[in-house]
Amino acid sequence: MENTTAIIAEDEKELRNHLRSQLLEIWPELQIVGEARNGKEALELIERHGPDIAFLDIQMPGLSGMEVARKVARSCRVVFVTAYDEYAVKAFENEVVDYLLKPVTRERLGKTVSRLKSEITSPDPLALEALQGVERVLAGLTEHKSTNFLRWIRVQHEKSLQLIPVDEIYYFKSSDKYTVVRTETNEHLIRKPIKELIRELDPHLFWQIHRGTVVNVTRIAGVSRSLTGKGAVRLKNISDSLTVSQPYMHLFKQM
Amino acid sequence: MFSNTHMGHTVMGRKRFIKSLLITALFNTFIALFLTQLEYGKGFAINFIFSQCLGLSICTSIMAGHLFLKNATALQHFFMILITMTLGATFGSLLGILFAGLPVTEIFQGRPALLFQLIFIGIVFGSIITYFFFSQERISQARAEMQEEQIKRLDSEKIALETHLKMLQAQIEPHFLFNSLSTVLSLMETDKEKAARMLTDLTQYLRVSLSKTRAENTTIGQEMEMARAYLDIYKIRMGDRLQYHIQSENGLKEKAIPPMLVQPLLENAVKHGLENNVEGGLITITTNSDHRKIRIAVADTGKGLGETSDAGFGLMNIRERLHSLYGQEGKLILEENRPKGLKVTIEIPHGKHNGHYR
Repeated sequence: MENTTAIIAEDEKELRNHLRSQLLEIWPELQIVGEARNGKEALELIERHGPDIAFLDIQMPGLSGMEVARKVARSCRVVFVTAYDEYAVKAFENEVVDYLLKPVTRERLGKTVSRLKSEITSPDPLALEALQGVERVLAGLTEHKSTNFLRWIRVQHEKSLQLIPVDEIYYFKSSDKYTVVRTETNEHLIRKPIKELIRELDPHLFWQIHRGTVVNVTRIAGVSRSLTGKGAVRLKNISDSLTVSQPYMHLFKQM
Repeated sequence: MFSNTHMGHTVMGRKRFIKSLLITALFNTFIALFLTQLEYGKGFAINFIFSQCLGLSICTSIMAGHLFLKNATALQHFFMILITMTLGATFGSLLGILFAGLPVTEIFQGRPALLFQLIFIGIVFGSIITYFFFSQERISQARAEMQEEQIKRLDSEKIALETHLKMLQAQIEPHFLFNSLSTVLSLMETDKEKAARMLTDLTQYLRVSLSKTRAENTTIGQEMEMARAYLDIYKIRMGDRLQYHIQSENGLKEKAIPPMLVQPLLENAVKHGLENNVEGGLITITTNSDHRKIRIAVADTGKGLGETSDAGFGLMNIRERLHSLYGQEGKLILEENRPKGLKVTIEIPHGKHNGHYR
């Protein structure tokens, strides 16, 4: 039988060297065919060499170990390496996934190696279902799913380009060729037209109340209606007042 | 019906209008009964017609006045009420005369005083009702303000607790600790000197970081020492990929600042600016001040923030903390670093903060 082959993916050089030397000591017949410094390199190595085992650090620049594993789980056996992540470890245990905790001790590595040796003879790499189980658990842990809504507005302030988080913005108002961005203490001009902003902003947070005005709902203090059917929005902490034109008054009806 | 301050009130303006009219009508009925009891006028029916006409007309005109007069001063409101009440009373009296079927001409020729009498009565009772509505409005406004105040207080207490908790958790990031220990362990086999250096850095970092939990205060000098230790550890771990530079204004070393403000900036810079960046990069820490503000800036050469990027949002609780400590004077500024990357600046006033650092 041919020698068992493996790759190591770990972004920290010291840890990479250490894992390799430990592996060579415990499992001299193992042939380490490549070492990767990030997820992308790991993927390339796996595709090129088709190793039996991939040792993947979870936190790596570019692609994470988890993402690499999802792509290669059918073709090779994956061993995750992680520094600390009690939730991940729990997920691994539940789904019987191979993993190593950093710092990797000789005893633990020995156990993993003997398990790998017996497993490698049976041609059944890490079940995709198990991996999906791990991913499910981990996905539940990530705080917020990233959406494609605007989160920052880039503005020119004095001589620098500043980033303002959208939830700090009171309203956007079109003015000639520009759009006024109002925060509690400042007013900035940006070139992005209101029409484009409306498409890119979170509609739960920003309401269009006029052809040229979009307001942050959380900054509204009150709305009053005039006899002509138009509304006036008052804002928290600042004295600006915004006009709500008739077609948008329904937004405030059910309040 | 007066000075609507709350969203719900004004949007339901029509409902409130009708409600006010109904209350006024009820009042009017009492007034009519009262006047009849005093044997004033020509019996209950006529008194009823007059008091309804007067009361409803005054009520309507005052409410109309409020619709036109927004964000006015108290004095302007007072005059508006005076004018609209007089107009309403006059109109109401004439309406009453008409409805009661009294010959208008006779009244003007025979007893012109009657009209003035009616207007006078209208204004007197109108003032009483207006006062009633006004105090009602005051009460509900005060209640709403109190609730808002309470919500605000609860909010700030919640933020304080949360940041305290996060601070405790963030004191030593386990990921950082275990990765660093792994590196020390592996260096023991390959480069004992380097291992010792790293252990020294780690000790220094832990000492400063742990001592700060007890003290409410830290100094800029101390924070810079900690930053140095932290970045030195990363430098060993990441090899050539990390460079750093600390540029600290001399006179600022002894300045007291709240703990755990600089640390999250460093973590952010390493995480988003470096760790995910294959080539690595440079972190620059700068402190400076003018007569009003102290500024601490951490800049990286990572890929910066996209407009829809999640990165950097972890910094937002620093902004909240600065806000609760210093109000408008505490700022967190995010800028694009040149030629690339992100620069995060904390701006705080000199001297004491509002007290507790939680």
